[in-house]
Amino acid sequence: MRISRGWTQLVIILGLLCAGTTVFAQTVGVSWSNFQEERWKRDEAAMKAAIEKAGGKYISADAQGSNEKQVADIENLITRGAKVLIVLAWDADAVLPAVRNAKTEHIPIIAYDRLIQDKDVFYLTFDNVEVGRMQAQGVLAKKPAGNYVFIKGSPTDPNADFLHKGQLEVLAAAIKGGKIKVVGEQYTEGWAPEVAQRNMEQILTKANNKVDAVVASNDGTAGGVVAALRAQNLVGIPVSGQDGDIAALNRVALGEQTVSVFKDARKLGETAGTVAVQLAKGKKSKDIAGTVTWSDGTKKIPMTSLFLKPVPVTSENLDYVISASWATKDQVCKGVAAAKAPKACK
Amino acid sequence: MISMVLALIAIWIGLELATSGLFLSARNLYNLSIQTSAIAVVSCGMVFVIVARQIDLSVGSLLAFTGVLTAFAQVRWFEGMASATWMLSIVVGLAAGVVVGLFQGWWVAYRGIPALVVTLAGFLMYRGAAFLIAQGQTIAPLDETYQRLGGGAAGSIGVAASWVIGAAGCTWLGWYVWNTRRERAKYTADQTPVWLDVIKVIVGVAAIAGFVAVMASYPDRSQADDDGNAPGMGIGVPVLILIGVVVVLSFLAHRTRFGRYVFAYGGNPESAVLAGINTRFVLVKIFVMMGILSTVAAVITTARLNAGANSIGQLTELYAISAAVIGGTSLAGGVGSVPGAVVGALVIQSLDNGMVLLDIGSAQRQIIIGLVLIAAVWFDVVYTKRQSR
Amino acid sequence: MTQPIVEMIGMHKHFGAVRAVDDVSCDLRPGEVVGLLGHNGAGKTTLIKILAGVYAQDGGTIKVRGQPVAFASPRDAQRAGIETIYQHLALADNIDAAGNLFLGRELLTRWGTLDTHRMAHEAGKIIRRINPSFTQTHLPVRALSGGQRQTVAIARALYFDAKILIMDEPTAALGPGETKMVKDIIRGLKQDGIGIYLVSHEMRDVFDVCDRLVVLKNGKLVGTAKVSEVTEDDVLGMIILGKSPVPRAATGATPA
Repeated sequence: MRISRGWTQLVIILGLLCAGTTVFAQTVGVSWSNFQEERWKRDEAAMKAAIEKAGGKYISADAQGSNEKQVADIENLITRGAKVLIVLAWDADAVLPAVRNAKTEHIPIIAYDRLIQDKDVFYLTFDNVEVGRMQAQGVLAKKPAGNYVFIKGSPTDPNADFLHKGQLEVLAAAIKGGKIKVVGEQYTEGWAPEVAQRNMEQILTKANNKVDAVVASNDGTAGGVVAALRAQNLVGIPVSGQDGDIAALNRVALGEQTVSVFKDARKLGETAGTVAVQLAKGKKSKDIAGTVTWSDGTKKIPMTSLFLKPVPVTSENLDYVISASWATKDQVCKGVAAAKAPKACK
Repeated sequence: MISMVLALIAIWIGLELATSGLFLSARNLYNLSIQTSAIAVVSCGMVFVIVARQIDLSVGSLLAFTGVLTAFAQVRWFEGMASATWMLSIVVGLAAGVVVGLFQGWWVAYRGIPALVVTLAGFLMYRGAAFLIAQGQTIAPLDETYQRLGGGAAGSIGVAASWVIGAAGCTWLGWYVWNTRRERAKYTADQTPVWLDVIKVIVGVAAIAGFVAVMASYPDRSQADDDGNAPGMGIGVPVLILIGVVVVLSFLAHRTRFGRYVFAYGGNPESAVLAGINTRFVLVKIFVMMGILSTVAAVITTARLNAGANSIGQLTELYAISAAVIGGTSLAGGVGSVPGAVVGALVIQSLDNGMVLLDIGSAQRQIIIGLVLIAAVWFDVVYTKRQSR
Repeated sequence: MTQPIVEMIGMHKHFGAVRAVDDVSCDLRPGEVVGLLGHNGAGKTTLIKILAGVYAQDGGTIKVRGQPVAFASPRDAQRAGIETIYQHLALADNIDAAGNLFLGRELLTRWGTLDTHRMAHEAGKIIRRINPSFTQTHLPVRALSGGQRQTVAIARALYFDAKILIMDEPTAALGPGETKMVKDIIRGLKQDGIGIYLVSHEMRDVFDVCDRLVVLKNGKLVGTAKVSEVTEDDVLGMIILGKSPVPRAATGATPA
């Protein structure tokens, strides 16, 4: 009898330990807005690796571009045991009810890449205003004066306006002084390249092709812009973008796009994963390394934020993306004629 | 349909005045024709779907799937294998469209699942599949010759060929009117008055000639000589494809048993069954046709964009349904017009095209298009009621 | 007695647990009009749909001109010379008279396309034979009156040389003038030697044109009788009470 009681106690302790380790594994719930765009897969891979390295567990849901689904997804993630949430918001305002819900359950939330305006949300992103500045700088350097066109992002994405803000900061002086004239400006629903192409065609018609530079807010829309320019034999005028899409990097090598501001999604994902597990273990937001208090959103709410630095990729520094293993030399340099090849393709 | 053409002309005149002559310029009309082509192709097929009392919500997602697949095949599988492998990539895309059409048609016709449900599932599935083909990557650039199918630089057939097509169109119109008179004379004494037929021919020829003249007057910048003179573009390749689709589908609708059975089924499904028609096979054929047309639209879209992106074709199904309905297709089934769907697509695209010329923002554009759509269909309903009194 | 052109022997048909037709036998001779009567749900429509090839029977034999037949589809029945005019006419409202007449059996040009003009011509000929005042044959059927629609349906049957006609409630939606027209057509068809099964609720019409009548109740055969040997009351008794008729000649009683 003494022996069996001992064994029973051992079994109970082992059982508690097992249960305990699953309880102690920090479950990180990630709510994606629309997984279908090209870059999020890379974000996810890095995020998952960082979470698991820190001893956490990764669960996720894809809202497929629907506000209602995202709210439901977040509730669902909490039910499934998430101790911390990473949210890539489809619409910054529509997601607030779910955020408030999570707060009542004392679950910390990280706003991933896209702003969610709430004083308790941890905002992790590349400095999108800085991205906008880099886009404008890249174009301005090639064409300091002339007729400019802004092909902006999705009207429901706050990032679109941050980008435009940064772009205007750089170009304000020249616009005010009359050196730069804005001959066309349109949002692009859903960031869709087709829509950007149509809008650009119409702007070109209106301006009778007298367009000298296009500040496009991402690589997808830049692709649409370049297609519209090609139909009018205008390929080669400065065009900006962001995301480091393979097709865009190729365009930079070919001279069809001037700059693609690269935000290493893997770094962002990795940082999100690491910070998430720290927050789940009880660390306070302000105690995380590198954070600042930022209140530049439209509602001017002060938020603890961590900004990563983007890298503008032009034909001069294409080898950056190649050596960072983001893209291969073959992918970037496809179709580049030897005579006009940038340094990285020689 | 006359009422819809009148509405279109009214919209065009309005936009021409608002843009101070920019809307009806050769350049903008050429662009408009290209911008309308892909959706118009799908709208023509949607006429058959709606006439048969079905619906197809999967068109946009299927467009994305077949488009990305075609681009993927072109760039990742076939590149460097031989010249003109882009044609093979289109065959791959078409095959996928046919398979999906068979799949959807089978569920609707042989398993009795409502088309709304089957194609709604398709709407969700095929875009996901499009993402998976290239792990979300946009596939670009595409083959140089393939790009010509998109109507951009070097994407038109030139002035001479355009006039040949125009002449063919006018000849066909003249023959059609004359032949209808002749056939009718064989059997009855009832004839439309000669003057009416003459007017039909004159108006038709004028419209065709006007269209070709406008297309030919838009200079082809890619062939400009040193002085800046350039030959005209002519009819864009996507428009040529659209014309082909309209001809084939109109022929199917009015001259073949398949078309007759689609309309009969839409008018009274029981009567078609009792007449011994294999109605289930007819339904499958309709969905296969939509699969093929989605691929055709995908080819135009990807060639135009010079990229296979999984975000293409968004909202295409709604625009196609709207275009068909504006063009006179009744949602109750049994009544529809293929050329009408083209007019409907033109109405929608003209509004969007004109409003960007006027620098109107995207939110306002969407509201205005929605309101004009309601007004256009209301106008048509009133006009039809008045006609049938 | 002439050979029956149609013999239905021991017909059975059930849908799940419901016995729609339960051991019904019924013959038809050339030039004879047989009325099929009974309440809604008595099995009349099911029986004629079996003969028309829409349903396959679960038991029993059908013989046409003495030969046993099995119909896999309406087309098979049509090939055997059986044409059906359904209660709701089975016309496609959006298609014209000619299109409906030839539905499923279109005339084709030598290139395989629809020969619309020949079909219009042929349809016009036969429609005018039945109803000389009906000239607007190019209108979609929804624009026609009830009698004109009935004409199209009958013309469809006649064009394809039906020897056996099934008519389901042909006068139900018609006014007195058009009802008379239809009854005259039926008498004309009798003269041509065509055998007709007539499903009807209108006692007057049955007694006007039918030679025999058959009454069904709850899927079972109540009885058959010559129209000349029974009264309307007898027939009502058969329909409502399932009472088998007593032929006048047998009892010797004078008709009421």
